[in-house]
Amino acid sequence: MTPNEYLAKVLSAQTLASNSPELKDLQERRTQVEEHLREHFDDSSPTIRYGGSKAKGTMIKESYDLDIVCYFDHDDTAAGETLEDIYNNVRKALEGKYLVEPKSSALRLKGASADTHGADFHIDVVPGRFTDEEEADAFLYISSGEKNRLKTNLDVHVAHVKESGVIDAIRLMKLWKVRNRLSVRNFILELAVIKLLSSKKSATLATQLEHVWTELRDNIDDLAVEDPANPTGNDLSDLLNAAKYELSTAAGSTLDLMASSGWEAVFGSVEQEDRKENIAALRRAAAVATPTRAWCRDA
Amino acid sequence: MTKPWHRSDPAYFEKEKREVEREYPNLRFRLAGELVVLEGDFPLIAEGKVRDRYLVEITMARDHPKPLPVVREVAGRIPRKPERHMNGDGTACVVLPDERWKSWPVGAPLVDFLNGPLRSYFICQSVVESGHPWPMEELGHGAAGIRTSYAELLGTDDINVIRGYLVCLAAKQVKGHWSCPCSSGKRLRDCHLARVLDLRTRIAPADAAKSLRYLRG
Repeated sequence: MTPNEYLAKVLSAQTLASNSPELKDLQERRTQVEEHLREHFDDSSPTIRYGGSKAKGTMIKESYDLDIVCYFDHDDTAAGETLEDIYNNVRKALEGKYLVEPKSSALRLKGASADTHGADFHIDVVPGRFTDEEEADAFLYISSGEKNRLKTNLDVHVAHVKESGVIDAIRLMKLWKVRNRLSVRNFILELAVIKLLSSKKSATLATQLEHVWTELRDNIDDLAVEDPANPTGNDLSDLLNAAKYELSTAAGSTLDLMASSGWEAVFGSVEQEDRKENIAALRRAAAVATPTRAWCRDA
Repeated sequence: MTKPWHRSDPAYFEKEKREVEREYPNLRFRLAGELVVLEGDFPLIAEGKVRDRYLVEITMARDHPKPLPVVREVAGRIPRKPERHMNGDGTACVVLPDERWKSWPVGAPLVDFLNGPLRSYFICQSVVESGHPWPMEELGHGAAGIRTSYAELLGTDDINVIRGYLVCLAAKQVKGHWSCPCSSGKRLRDCHLARVLDLRTRIAPADAAKSLRYLRG
């Protein structure tokens, strides 16, 4: 198997099929969130759409979140006079049904019922307000940092990634991020990958990844990214700078690992036959592993 | 209030950290207030190869190692269902606390928890995920599992006897003049005191007290 065949299999194993239980579960929860918000803000009819990796096509099975944007019309004040009001009112509306963990501009939903208490639903709701009647640009409230609002454009972000021509490389780099427990924001990583591969779109996937890691290892200080939806108004340098050291270190380790042990040392084995063999090995291991009896607190 | 374990005995913390990081280089320690969190990629190694991996978050309480570490599978891969031994809040039911003495007694190093009960738990999850039945013995959920465990331990399914033993195990101290929980009518010192004292070396009073609450409904 060539490196590219191998990477294609890694990607295939990380794809959530449309009928997968994970995706069905997320979609069901998304419907519940949307219904709840529409009911609560029935005077406003907000625009509720998928954002994040679901909209961009960069989801990976190993770690996925669902972003749901909830944007109100530019002249709508029923949901709140200010952006902060909107953020807080959406939070209060969601708190009726979920445990809500406020993030910088999003609201993380967790279970609030007896059987799901505290469970992370992997859903972020992003409240905002369109800047004008075009309903393209939107302002988001920022609860941390110097600025208290951010101008953004979901369509531009989605298009920037979808039309980058390097979606497969982005998905693999996200998987690499997850496997290496890197704290860099996905948005920053996506922008960095797109930028670093701007002249390598026709290269093979293996070449693309090696190029990205080499650049991160050797030239990270020269790397800069900008928000395609707001290049001058949204400075991303702090977010990137905070991640440069870990990105560079992890990229160096990965290149070393690949050189010494090959691609499988980076992303693991993928063959269906391997999977069967792995399960068979785990079943054999179960027979000799420490015999413990799993229980469950919830009856 | 006493200091959390990692501050009251830094040498012990460093030893735990060193041992875990040597065997699990993709797991990292993080301090979260008074708690110690171990997080990262937990590999399932069998026959010399990594066969599967899980993203985990393992939280040690401030009085570690008395209570079991709280384990979460953070990628959302395992359904939060009792039949998968997952609580609704996303915490994993790796082992009934009352049975931990069999696989990870108090005082054993943390790495033994990872190599023992936790590895077994995730092996079972991978096997079940692939469509096979849970490959190890498992306990029923809630009070049913507790009753099964104590019935086997004590050799009786009599709920009153089980509750009686749990009262003795949950107490700060046992007194010889108490009635023996075996319902013989004798005083404890004349009957099963040795057995009770032996069980108290293995089962923590707090765990017994929780189980007693379950069995009382």
